Amino acid sequence: MYWEFSRKSFQRSAAYRFDVWTRIAGNIMFLFMWGFIWYALYYGKETVGGVSFQAMLGYIMISQALQGIHGAGAQLWEIQERVRTGDIAMEMLRPYDYTTRMLFSDLGSIFFYFITAVLPLYTVLFLVLKPSVSLTLAQMGLFIVSAVLGFLIRFCIEMTFGLFTFWLIETGGVEDVFYFSISLFSGSLVPLWFFPGWLEQVAHYLPFQAIFFVPNSIFVGQLKGPDIFNALLGQAIWLLLCFVILRLVWHRASMKIVIQGG
Amino acid sequence: MSLIEVNHLYKEFQVAKRQAGLWGALRSLLRREYLTKTAVRDVSFAVNQGEMVGYVGPNGAGKSTTIKMLTGILVPTSGEIRVNNLIPYKERQKNARQIGVVFGQRTQLWWDLPTIESFELLKQVFQIPDHRYKQNMATFADILGLDEFLNTPVRQLSLGQRMRADIAASLLHDPLILFLDEPTIGLDVLAKERMRQFITEINRERGVTVILTTHDMSDIEKLCRRMILIDNGQVMYDGELVLIKDLFGKERVLIVDLEGETDSFSVAGAQLVKEEGNRKWLRFNRELTTASQLINRISEKYEIKDLTIKDTEIEEMIRHIYEKGLAVYEMNSCRIENNKF
Amino acid sequence: MVSIMRGIGLYSYMVGASIRAQLQYRYAFVMNILGWAMTYAGTAVTMWVLLYSFGALDGWIFWELIFLFALAVLSWGVCMIFFFHFRSLDQYIVNGTFDRFLVRPIHPFFHFMAMKFDVGAFGQFLFSIAAVGLAYSNLHLHWTWQWLVFLGAVIGGALIQGGLLVAISSVAFWTTRSERLYWVIMWPLKSLMNYPLSIYPRLVQLLVVFILPFAFVNYLPALILLGKTGRVFAPFWGALSPLVGAIFFALCFRFWMLGLDRYKSAGS
Ligand SMILES: Nc1ncnc2c1ncn2[C@@H]1O[C@H](COP(=O)(O)OP(=O)(O)OP(=O)(O)O)[C@@H](O)[C@H]1O
Ligand SMILES: [Mg+2]
Repeated sequence: MYWEFSRKSFQRSAAYRFDVWTRIAGNIMFLFMWGFIWYALYYGKETVGGVSFQAMLGYIMISQALQGIHGAGAQLWEIQERVRTGDIAMEMLRPYDYTTRMLFSDLGSIFFYFITAVLPLYTVLFLVLKPSVSLTLAQMGLFIVSAVLGFLIRFCIEMTFGLFTFWLIETGGVEDVFYFSISLFSGSLVPLWFFPGWLEQVAHYLPFQAIFFVPNSIFVGQLKGPDIFNALLGQAIWLLLCFVILRLVWHRASMKIVIQGG
Repeated sequence: MSLIEVNHLYKEFQVAKRQAGLWGALRSLLRREYLTKTAVRDVSFAVNQGEMVGYVGPNGAGKSTTIKMLTGILVPTSGEIRVNNLIPYKERQKNARQIGVVFGQRTQLWWDLPTIESFELLKQVFQIPDHRYKQNMATFADILGLDEFLNTPVRQLSLGQRMRADIAASLLHDPLILFLDEPTIGLDVLAKERMRQFITEINRERGVTVILTTHDMSDIEKLCRRMILIDNGQVMYDGELVLIKDLFGKERVLIVDLEGETDSFSVAGAQLVKEEGNRKWLRFNRELTTASQLINRISEKYEIKDLTIKDTEIEEMIRHIYEKGLAVYEMNSCRIENNKF
Repeated sequence: MVSIMRGIGLYSYMVGASIRAQLQYRYAFVMNILGWAMTYAGTAVTMWVLLYSFGALDGWIFWELIFLFALAVLSWGVCMIFFFHFRSLDQYIVNGTFDRFLVRPIHPFFHFMAMKFDVGAFGQFLFSIAAVGLAYSNLHLHWTWQWLVFLGAVIGGALIQGGLLVAISSVAFWTTRSERLYWVIMWPLKSLMNYPLSIYPRLVQLLVVFILPFAFVNYLPALILLGKTGRVFAPFWGALSPLVGAIFFALCFRFWMLGLDRYKSAGS
């Protein structure tokens, strides 16, 4: 039944393909920007901290691709908007679980975005730019598992932050904390291994690194052997935790809707 | 010389043709095909100082488009407009000083500000002298009862309050002419009545010329002596309201909901114009048959569950004009006579 | 002259009203400002992390990079105050509320511009003034005449960025939608300029100097102000910011007026 929502949002994305193209255009521009930044940083250096430029290139490419995929789902501001306009309260009356429905809607639009934009474009980019990624099939499989886990974690966190709107009149600050954490601590722009030691420690104890940093590192071969499994286990624990928190917040929010009418 | 003169006015819009399917969408990215939609077609009329004119017609007739050209928002495709000797689209800012505009569908006030602040801002924008502003505010506050919500932000006003605020705002700078595009839309009966009284008063006491569009015929009946009827961008009738009421006012429509088998329904003295299952629309002439006669006749044969009697609606009038071949020039001639007095 | 004075008077009056409107939501007002400041501080932290292992980016050390970034943020703040709400012009056109600007006896561009005075921009000032100050002392700068260049860069930068906002908004006169363009053109371009221009390929450099002159917002003036030699363009180009800004803005304004003409003949 939830797949129906995926199908619907897939069709919606297809109807608004222009939006998809502009989004991918922006995504590619940022990829190039970060490519040149890292190129300039590496200029005249073979490896830094044991990482070559080619590996770094692979890192930002896969990071940018994943970010593109994540960006196709409902954004924080959209969730906040739904809370404010009372959309969520309306949907509470329907016979399904709201967060699950949102997840499946996201999957639909992401699938459209993935097959029509991200997959073809990044395949070409990888073939042309040839970053060094030495992936075995098994690693590829683990990368996909990790990327999916990362996606689910981000989904839970974003939903949770979005639901805070129920209690706050103004969400300006919440948004900024969220976006800052997502951009820095997730390792989406700068991998954690380039962080100053103490900051790296901090980042490791936050859930954000499980979103992009872990899958990216598996992809470029920075995580190997048993480390991969440890990282995956870490992701799974984070997911469980974020999921429980989301359910808790959701439960509270539903109570609030029922009692105070949103 | 009339205050407003419109001669052979045309307005055409280019509307992109939508093409079906994915292939069509791709093709339309490269080369779009346009359809020309004529919203206003050869419209001519003249309005004298102090007149109050109802501009009516069905949805999409071209009323708002005409108003927008008269106010200088839109440039006509061809034809002439003069508003107090100004060409609105050429001397838009000058024209703005002599007109007041209300679009009933959307406010022109500052959404986030207390209503009073919008008025103050307009005072600055129109450079309204202090004493005039104070006088006007006092008058409007009195008649329209603005006081109760002057300090409320516009976004929190009810529709009726907002409309009152909007019309007051449009009159602050003492315009010669007031354009009202559906000023009573969405208002309840009382609020409508209040609005009408206000408009009448403004017209009578200040001599403001009023042109208003509406879908509510009773607005026109209560306010205007003259009506311009427009359909499909063309003027169908322009003249005294009394005349057209004589022509069509005799006709009424009786809507009845019947019980039981009603397939071959008919009744003497009325014409069946429409039916939906057991609901029948019957047109009858008031002077030949009375409604009660008709109802009696029907109830002899059928059981009546419910009934309504309606005046002829605008759409109906337009259809009549087509059917009876009431030529526009005939109406024009009576308009010219009207203008003589 | 009289009309200029009246214009200024009217503008300040409307600005006052706009600020009062924003002050109605006190919490939002403060959060908006702090939010912006925090967002920029976040980018600055990212830059710091980026340079932690590498030391410099194409010869730009951390404080120089911060200066480059903060200069752009400062003029963006000035630009936001006056022009940020042009981003929502398409909303006005779609709901038909734009018509009101055409039934008033003042210039519609001026009227729209005076509609809002975005106080969120104080967040930009908060961040950028602090950042420029810190960079100034950490880099041991001692400006004299350079202050003029700095001022010119802020004004020119505001005009260049404001011009692009205006130009993008006017697309809505044709298509009724322009928000997306902001995200595809303005946003990437602004992000690009947070890093030294010299790291990008020639094509990009030519683009941001000669077509969408964002190089004059921060990179070129920063070369003069930090006493760097430009590998790409001579540093003195940076002094031309106000001139380039004025010309670019004038062009964008013409484009907006062109769009308005089209609106007046085609409607929304
Ligand atoms: N900007 C535009 N572009 C294309 N077509 C338009 C535009 N504005 C109006 N039209 C078309 O012109 C015709 C007249 O529209 P107008 O808004 O003047 O009608 P109206 O008489 O005011 O109707 P209503 O009673 O519904 O307000 C309509 O068919 C409308 O679709
Ligand atoms: Mg209309």
